[in-house]
Amino acid sequence: MKVPGKELIYLYCVTDSPRSWPGDEKYTISCRDLYAVVGKVRKTDFGEESLKKNLADFEWLKEKVNIHEQVIENVMKESSVVPFKFATIFNNEDNLIAFLKENEEELGNNLNYFRGKEEWGIKIYCDMAILIKYLGVNNEEILSLKNAINTSPPGKAFFLKKQKEEILIREANKKINEYGQNSFNKLKKYSIQSVINKLLPGEVTEINEDMILNCAFLLDKCLVTPFITAVEELKEQTAGTGFIFDCTGPWPPYNFCKLKKSGTAE
Amino acid sequence: MQTEEVRDGRVKKRLKDMEHNIIKSKDVTLLEILDRVLDKGVVISGDVVISVADVDLIYLGLKVLLSSVETMERLRGAPFIEPT
Repeated sequence: MKVPGKELIYLYCVTDSPRSWPGDEKYTISCRDLYAVVGKVRKTDFGEESLKKNLADFEWLKEKVNIHEQVIENVMKESSVVPFKFATIFNNEDNLIAFLKENEEELGNNLNYFRGKEEWGIKIYCDMAILIKYLGVNNEEILSLKNAINTSPPGKAFFLKKQKEEILIREANKKINEYGQNSFNKLKKYSIQSVINKLLPGEVTEINEDMILNCAFLLDKCLVTPFITAVEELKEQTAGTGFIFDCTGPWPPYNFCKLKKSGTAE
Repeated sequence: MQTEEVRDGRVKKRLKDMEHNIIKSKDVTLLEILDRVLDKGVVISGDVVISVADVDLIYLGLKVLLSSVETMERLRGAPFIEPT
């Protein structure tokens, strides 16, 4: 038995055709040509006060975030989607329908726009130790300094070593900037839209290497294969320099969907 | 040189994972998902929504220190040119 007042409506995404999930809590609410994919959730999970508390619970967050992604990915397999942010909640269906009506045109435009397109993500990491090692045997300025160190008296050698270290760091940063920018430029050519996102520090990535580029591309489906080939080429070109690629997709177009005005549900 | 080997092994694994991604069965880390669903996607003023402050709290919970993001940005030097 569903007790009124204890449940909320969770909006996952809006799509262009009706969907059903046998034996599941997810269903669609339609408004003319729009279908909102929703689920009933408990106030103890997503009510205003509970939510704040639950967000701090990593296990809870992990479970719910995965559900969010899976629901949208399932819908995405067969139709165009406009994904919503995690925990987009309405008190009741009427509020949601009001939102759909108010944003009908823009949501429809978004759905048309995303048809036949996929979001792909690229994260590039750099292993500084490998890059510095690479520069140590490939950078001319460093090589000639190394030579000078070997042939100088101790006092001067000490000074030159310090200088070499400074130049190494400078050259490494230069290489990282060049490489990040070049990779982005190259991949951007295959995309309809692209975006550069904030770098995430090692504490979150749980990866030793530093993230040097975090970006997303909206691709026409027929350009996905050439895009991946380009990623492979970039990887080959930089073998041994410490750069590591993470290429993921297809994603729902999280990075590219926007409503001009924020809907008011009340 | 054991660390090198371990490192190489890990790098290879990551590259292999990527091949995996290409054949579309994604084995994506939670990070990849969080990086998208927490502050991307359509944001509306529904009846209950996570505020920016809440997202920051989640990231803090994941030990993302904002200061280290800034450090990284600084380390990277000049920002990449944003797409237009």
